[in-house]
Amino acid sequence: MVINFILLILSLLIYASLGITNLLFILFSILTSFFAAKLFKSKNKKFIFIITIILNSLVFFFFKFMIFKEITSFNLIVPLGISYYTLQIISYLIDVYKNKYPAEKSLWKYMLSVAYLPHLFIGPIAKYDEIKDAIFNNRKTNWSNFYLGITRVFWGLSKKLIISGRIAIITNNITTNNYSGWYILLAVFLYSIQLYADFSGGIDVVLGLSKILGIDLKENFNSPFDSQSVKEFWRRWHISLGRWLKEYIYIPLGGNKHGTFRKNINLLITFFISGLWHGLSYLLWGIFHGIFVMFGEKLKTPFQIVNKIGTFILISLLWCFFLWSDPFIALKMIGSIITDFNLMNVIQNIFNLGLALSDWIVLIIFTTTLFIIDKKQLLIKDKLLKIAIEFKLIILGIMILFILLFGIYGIGFNVNEFIYSNF
Amino acid sequence: MKKAIRISLILIIFIGCFILLNMLLQPKYATSLVEGSMIAQYYDESKDHEVIFIGDCELYANFSPMVMYESAGIKAYVRGSSQQMIWQSYYILKETLKYEKPKIVIFNINSIRYDKQSEEVSEAYNRLTIDQMKWSQEKIDIINDSMTEEETFLSYVLPILRYHSRYDKLTSEDFEYLFKKKHNTHNGFLINKHIKGVNNLPTPKKLGNYEFNKESLNYLELILKLCEENDIKLILVKAPSLYPHWYEEYEQQVIAFAEENNVDYYNFIKYSEEIGIDYTTDTYDGGLHLNLSGATKLSKFFANILKSNYDLINYQGDPIYEEKLKIYKNAIK
Repeated sequence: MVINFILLILSLLIYASLGITNLLFILFSILTSFFAAKLFKSKNKKFIFIITIILNSLVFFFFKFMIFKEITSFNLIVPLGISYYTLQIISYLIDVYKNKYPAEKSLWKYMLSVAYLPHLFIGPIAKYDEIKDAIFNNRKTNWSNFYLGITRVFWGLSKKLIISGRIAIITNNITTNNYSGWYILLAVFLYSIQLYADFSGGIDVVLGLSKILGIDLKENFNSPFDSQSVKEFWRRWHISLGRWLKEYIYIPLGGNKHGTFRKNINLLITFFISGLWHGLSYLLWGIFHGIFVMFGEKLKTPFQIVNKIGTFILISLLWCFFLWSDPFIALKMIGSIITDFNLMNVIQNIFNLGLALSDWIVLIIFTTTLFIIDKKQLLIKDKLLKIAIEFKLIILGIMILFILLFGIYGIGFNVNEFIYSNF
Repeated sequence: MKKAIRISLILIIFIGCFILLNMLLQPKYATSLVEGSMIAQYYDESKDHEVIFIGDCELYANFSPMVMYESAGIKAYVRGSSQQMIWQSYYILKETLKYEKPKIVIFNINSIRYDKQSEEVSEAYNRLTIDQMKWSQEKIDIINDSMTEEETFLSYVLPILRYHSRYDKLTSEDFEYLFKKKHNTHNGFLINKHIKGVNNLPTPKKLGNYEFNKESLNYLELILKLCEENDIKLILVKAPSLYPHWYEEYEQQVIAFAEENNVDYYNFIKYSEEIGIDYTTDTYDGGLHLNLSGATKLSKFFANILKSNYDLINYQGDPIYEEKLKIYKNAIK
């Protein structure tokens, strides 16, 4: 009880320290949704529900698309985590409205469940009943959780600093200088790994910190590059967003209950909204994903490895919309892969793109390790708990030394924040 | 109990590895970029100097204490480093005074033209001056006062944070000088025998403002105060380097400061003919720094001034300095 209270105060204080507007807007969303849900027992239930959803969505859209900046002279910064907590609040309102669970009675419990700091930065997008249970009912603080948590934090940091940071040097180089052709192919393939290492690394930090506190949050990834189709990819990548879109957009639209045509329309709308959630320049990315989910299954072959490689290529090509903020430039770049066949040039210049041979070796070793550990996550977790404290310390120590030694940070490197904290 | 010992042992091994990595990755400045080792070489010296030079490269390249010893028996040491800024000179003087109390401190005034916003202030030069300093209050202060925006204090405490990416650039030097240091200077003087005469010096740019920055002037006052408190005579010098251009407006401000505070000031650019400097043969980089030949002429000239005008003991015959002189003569052959 006391720890939770401290956690709430700390979350709000840190959040406010990053900008007072952060605190004001999250409090607005928390208070409107909390009291609105309480009023769902009244006659005006539907009206209150719609108004609250619109109000919170408007705040989100205003900031997300900088409409606020364009119609006023204020230059407000987008409140941190607004994309994540708005979805959580909307799901809470819908669940309570549909009587999936009763409205929360305790304001401070509701406040902590929404404003719980670690997941505000990068997700995962939690459902209210699940995060409340994780914080208040199923919380277990013990040495095992502490060790698992701290190991995961450092694992996440090593993904971010050793893999993502290293690849970023190349992808930034290729996107900011006039490269074309197969350099673009190299960039999108590498960006796939960069984004995964960055995003899942960030999630590892969030889940690890929560684990230290005894809070078990849901996983957001499940070996996404093992997917044999784009549809499967969305069950393995950013799981919390995929689940949210499915439960609160796709199924309410009718899902697959009204024939193939309606199902496809519903899919397109769902992925359109997924793109919109990322930002206006990601709309095409969302639509393309929708199309590949619709027809991707038909492209499947009997060979798993071919399906996996094919899915990886498709997904990678679509990250072009993340690499170039202008979707038309992104498409032009992808087009240059066909028109400008400069594979030999890429091979000859591979060590002139920002990474020396030693960096490539480090990158290949750590990326391979990442994929192996990813696949055997549960087994490793189990083994980590069983080994003697001495070995636990050795593993932790090696991780810290590796991060310090091979991480990309410090002067001369632009280590940006986690990519997905910008969404 | 056994478990506790095992855990302690593991922790000690990790701390050991961490310390070793820090040492290994930090540049040794032994055979390349030797300018980074100059400040630290002082710690191994006997601390009985009567004259201490404080300042930038215009000192360690132009003034040879061994020549001054040979010609006038002066025990001097140059605590100079590349692009040593005036605030850094203040802290290095402060640190020096913890080890010894010289009779004279000579400060090369060139760095007063710069302030903390100057483009000459850079992380790389900060490192050359600060990296190998011993930990003390002065080191903490010099870091805090010198850091550029991109630097962090922690990276000075844990060099691995700055130099971690050197893991693939390690050379035999890094292993050879892991536990030992190489003395590249002779009482702080760095020998350079190359000849690159002055040829087409750039025309001095007109500046918008020639006035010294107040903060930089404040450090000069602090240097003066420190000398006064310790009963040390402060002498200001401007080494006879022709580039970057020393403007007449700068000269007048230094003269005014010297007169106002009763400080002696020697601008050796004005004495260059008297010294006998031949700028076609006496510099190694086209007029920025004197080479061995030029530095020898200048050091003899200045040693005479010091001997004639200041109360310094003639230490000629001192066995330690005689040994040093032998080594020096061997090095300049």
